[in-house]
Amino acid sequence: MAHELPYIAAILEAIQLEMERDESVLYFGQNMATTENEPFVDAFGRDRVRVTPISETAEIGIAVGAALAGFRPVVELYMAEFMLVAMDQVVNEAPRFRGMSGGQVKVPIVLKAGYGFTAGWAGQHTGTLNALFMGVPGLKVAVPSTAADAKGLMATAIRDDNPVVYLHHYLLTLEHGEVPDGEHLVPFGEAAVRREGSDVTIVGTGWTVDRALGAAERLAGEGIQAEVVDPRTIAPLDLQTILESVDKTGHLVLVDQATRHASVSTVIAGEVAEHGFGSLKAPIVQVTGLDATIPYSEPLEAYVLPDEDKVVAAVQRVLGTAPVTA
Amino acid sequence: MTVFGGEQATSLLATMWRIRLFEERVGQLARGGEIDGLIHLSTGQEGVAAAVCSQLRDDDHVYSGHRAHGHAIAKGAPLRAVMAELMGRDSGLCRGLGGSMHLVDAERGFMGATGVVGGNVPIALGSALAARLRGVDSVAVVFFGDGAVQAGHFNETVNLATLWRLPLVLVCENNGFAEFTPRSAHTVVERVSDVVAPYGLGRLTVDGNDVVATWDAFGGFLQSARGGGGPFLLECLTHRVRGHYEGDPGRYREAMDDGEWREKDPILRLERHGVAERWFTEDDARAVAAAAAEDVEEAVRFGRESAFPPPEIVEAMVYADA
Amino acid sequence: MSSPQGVEKLEREHLVWIFRQMLRIREFEERVKRTFEDHPGVIRGHTHLADGAEASIVGSIATLGPDDQFFTTYRCHGYPIARGTDPQAIMAEIYGRRDGLCKGLGGSMHLTDVSNGFLGTSGIVGAGIPHATGAAWAAQIRGKGQVVLCFFGDGASKQGAFFESLNIASLWKLPIVFVMENNGYNVHTRTEQEDANRAAGEDLSVKAKAFSMPGVTIDGRDPLEVYESVRTAVARARSGEGPTLVESQMYRLSAHGNIIAPPGVPLHFPEHEAVEKFGAPEEYEAAKQGDPVPAFRGRLVADGVCSGEEADAIAQEVREEMQAAVGFGLESPFPEVETALEYVYA
Repeated sequence: MAHELPYIAAILEAIQLEMERDESVLYFGQNMATTENEPFVDAFGRDRVRVTPISETAEIGIAVGAALAGFRPVVELYMAEFMLVAMDQVVNEAPRFRGMSGGQVKVPIVLKAGYGFTAGWAGQHTGTLNALFMGVPGLKVAVPSTAADAKGLMATAIRDDNPVVYLHHYLLTLEHGEVPDGEHLVPFGEAAVRREGSDVTIVGTGWTVDRALGAAERLAGEGIQAEVVDPRTIAPLDLQTILESVDKTGHLVLVDQATRHASVSTVIAGEVAEHGFGSLKAPIVQVTGLDATIPYSEPLEAYVLPDEDKVVAAVQRVLGTAPVTA
Repeated sequence: MTVFGGEQATSLLATMWRIRLFEERVGQLARGGEIDGLIHLSTGQEGVAAAVCSQLRDDDHVYSGHRAHGHAIAKGAPLRAVMAELMGRDSGLCRGLGGSMHLVDAERGFMGATGVVGGNVPIALGSALAARLRGVDSVAVVFFGDGAVQAGHFNETVNLATLWRLPLVLVCENNGFAEFTPRSAHTVVERVSDVVAPYGLGRLTVDGNDVVATWDAFGGFLQSARGGGGPFLLECLTHRVRGHYEGDPGRYREAMDDGEWREKDPILRLERHGVAERWFTEDDARAVAAAAAEDVEEAVRFGRESAFPPPEIVEAMVYADA
Repeated sequence: MSSPQGVEKLEREHLVWIFRQMLRIREFEERVKRTFEDHPGVIRGHTHLADGAEASIVGSIATLGPDDQFFTTYRCHGYPIARGTDPQAIMAEIYGRRDGLCKGLGGSMHLTDVSNGFLGTSGIVGAGIPHATGAAWAAQIRGKGQVVLCFFGDGASKQGAFFESLNIASLWKLPIVFVMENNGYNVHTRTEQEDANRAAGEDLSVKAKAFSMPGVTIDGRDPLEVYESVRTAVARARSGEGPTLVESQMYRLSAHGNIIAPPGVPLHFPEHEAVEKFGAPEEYEAAKQGDPVPAFRGRLVADGVCSGEEADAIAQEVREEMQAAVGFGLESPFPEVETALEYVYA
C-alpha cells in the first residue's frame, strides 16, 4: 500500500518512523522544537528532540559524541552550506573515527541538509556541493530525487552505522509522489533506472533526474530512446548499473547542477572512461552548472543552470544528430 | 568522596611513572626510527592525567587531543597496546591505523584523541548528552590545551553545556604555550577559567603539577557532575618539559633550569610529599618506578614482536557494516 | 526612552537628520514588503526587514566618519540607506535588475557599496564578524584613524566565529565596535532557548568579559542612547584602546523573513513568530507600542525640535522618494545573462 506525500513530508515520515522504532534516534538542530505543540516534540519529548543555537560545529560535534556513545542523531542543518561552517567535524572528525580507531567505534549520524535552492537565494544558499562530500572516505551520501526515495533513503541513512550526508533538493520540496506505507528502506548503492531506452544513457542526480526525464520525453518525439539512470546514493556509487546501461546504449550524457569540476558527473565520466571505454561510440558529454557563483537575478540564474534544452542538445550532440558546437 | 591516602598516592605515583618512562622510551624510539610520524610528549604534565583519570570508571568517556599518551595510559589502556599502536602494529590499540595522535580504547572509555586542536570538545559534549539521555550518572571528560580555548567551538560547547546542564568536565592543561606560541600572543585573558566567566559554570584554577590538589579539585567536580551539577571547567597550570613535538628545536621559549624543574616536577613532588606524609617509603617509590620501567620494556618487546597489520584492513575500516 | 540630555546636546539639524533616516528606512522597507503583494514574483529568494531596528541602525551609522567602514548581516537594507547609498539602486538590486547596487547578482541579502564604506554582507550567520575584524586590522595597519562597525544579531553570538574574532580584536586592540542587535529571536527560536546567559537572566553584553573587553547593553529603540554609546565606543576604538561589545536591545516588528518556498509558490511575509509560533499576540502588540519610529517623532515634537507639520512634510518627502525607488526598480531592465560569468574572478 502506498500514499501520496510531498517529498519533504516523506523525509519527516521516515524520521518519525525510525524514532518510533528505535529510541536511540535523536533529532535536533536550529529553529525546530521551539514550542510544545510541534509534532516531534509531542511524540518524542524534549530529550530526543532539541533546538540548538546557531553553532554548527558544536551541533555536529555533539552528534559525533552522542553517536560514539551509542545514539543515532539526525542533525537538521537546513542548508548544505551551513555544514561548511563545521567542515572539521563533517570531513575530519565524523568519518575518521572508525578508521583511526582500527574499527573500535562507529559514528552513525545523519547530516540532513537541503541544497541547490536556485530560487533567487543568490550566492550562498544555492550551491550543489555533493561531490565534495562524495570524495571523503567514511562518509556516505544520499541524494533522493523522488518522495518514495526520500523516505526510503532517510530510513536507511538512520539505520546505517556510518555518517551519512543526506542531501535533499530544495526545489523538490513540494513535489508529490507515491510513498510506500510503513517501513520502507531503499538500499544504498543501488541505482534506479527511471526510464528504459536503447540509444543513449542519461545520468542525473536529485533535481536533475527530472530534467533528464523531461528531455527524454521530448527526445522520444524525435525517435530517440533515452535511458535515465538515477544513482540515488553517490557514495556508495552504483557504477555497475551505469556501465551496463552504457554498454547497451553506447552513449552517455551526464547532468549535474554542480559546477563542472566539482560535480558528481565528472567523477562518473572518469570511471566510465576507465571501465567502459569499449562500450562508448562517442565522447561523453556533461551538462553541468556553469562555473560561477549562482547569481540572484532570475534570467542570470537560469543561464548558469542545466535545463531540458541543454540536455536535449547534449543528447543530439552525442548522437551526432546535431552539429557539434563549441 | 574517597579520602586521599597511601593507596591513592601509590597508585598515582605508579601511573605517573608509567607515563613518564613510557614517553621517554617513545622519544628514544622515535629518534631511532622505530616510531613514525609526529609525536607529542606530555613530560611534566603527567600529574593531571593521573589525578583525573584515576577517579573515572570505564563508562565515563574521556576525550583527548594530539598529546594523548598519558591520558590513554591513565584511563587504563595497556602499555603494550599503546606502544604497539605507536609502532604501527596489528596488535596496537587501533590496529596501527591511528598512531600517536589518534589513540582510542573504547572498552575502557577512552573514546578518542583528535589531531585538530579543540575538535574533541563538542564531541565530548555529545557523550555527556548521551549520559543524560540514558539517565545514568556517568560523565564525559575532555582534555585540551590552552590553545583550544580560542577556537570558536570551545565557546559554542560551553554555551550549550551550560544551557543544557550536562555532565561534562572540561579539563584544560594550561602549559602556557599553544603549539609554539605563548598564551600572551593568543589572548589578553590570562586564565582560561576567566574565558568562561560569562557562563555560570563551576570553575577552578589549580597547580596541575600538584597532583594531590588536582585530584581533590577534580574529585569535587566529578562528584557534583555525577549528581547533575555540571558542567565544570578545571584549569590545571602545568609545564611542558619537552618541545611541542619530538624534534622541536624550541627556540620560542626559555628552558627551565634543573633545580627549578626538580621543585616543579609532579613526580618528584609527590615522592617528597608522600614520604613526608608516610603514604609510602622511599623504597616503595623506587619499587614503583622500577615496576613501571619493566612494564615499559615489556611493551617495547611486545611492540617489536608484533606483526604489521595486513594492508586490506585499511579499506575494511572505512565504513562500519550497516 | 529617557535620555533628555542627548536631545539638548545634539543640534536640531542632527536630530532631524536622524528622524529622516529612520523614516527613510521604514518607508523603503514598507515598500519592499508591499512589493510581494503588489508585484508578485518581482522579489525572489529570501528577504529580511529591519523594522524595529531603525533607531539602532541610524544611531550607529551616525557615529561614522567619512572614511569609516561597516559590515552587516543579510538583514541589510537600512544601513546603506542611512549611510547615503541611493535607495533606487538598492531597490533595483532587490528586484534583480541591471541598475542594482550589485548589478542584480547579489539581491536582498548581499548588498555592498564600497564607495560608502559598506564592504559587504554574508548570508551565513556570524560569518561577517571575522570579515569586519580583518577590515579593522587593515585599518590599524593603514594608520589613518579609520574605525569599523560590525553589526550582527544575537543568534550569531553562538557561532564560534564570534568568539574567535572578539578575542583577536581585543588582543590586537583593533579599531572596531561590535554592535550586537538583540531582537529577541533567532528566526523563531527565542534567545533564552539557545543562550546560556539569557537563560540565566543576564544581558548578552556579559559575553565581553571573556575577552577582557568592555560590554554595554543599551535600549536600541532609542536612537540617541545608541548614538551616545556607539560614539563612545567608536572614540575608544579610534584612539587605539580597542574594541567594545554593544548589545543593542530591540524588537523585530516583522517576521524573520518572507516564507521559504520553491518557485511557483507565491511569497509573502507571515505574521511575527510571537503570534504565529508562540501564540503570544500580546507580546507583539506591546512591542508595537514601543515602535521606535513614531516614538522618536513624538519626542521631537514634544521637545519642540520640530513641529508636527514639519515632521509630516518630511514623511511626505520620504514617501515620494521611496515610491520613486519602486518605480525605478520596476523599470530597470534585467542584466545581460553573460553578466553571470563576469565577476567570478578579479
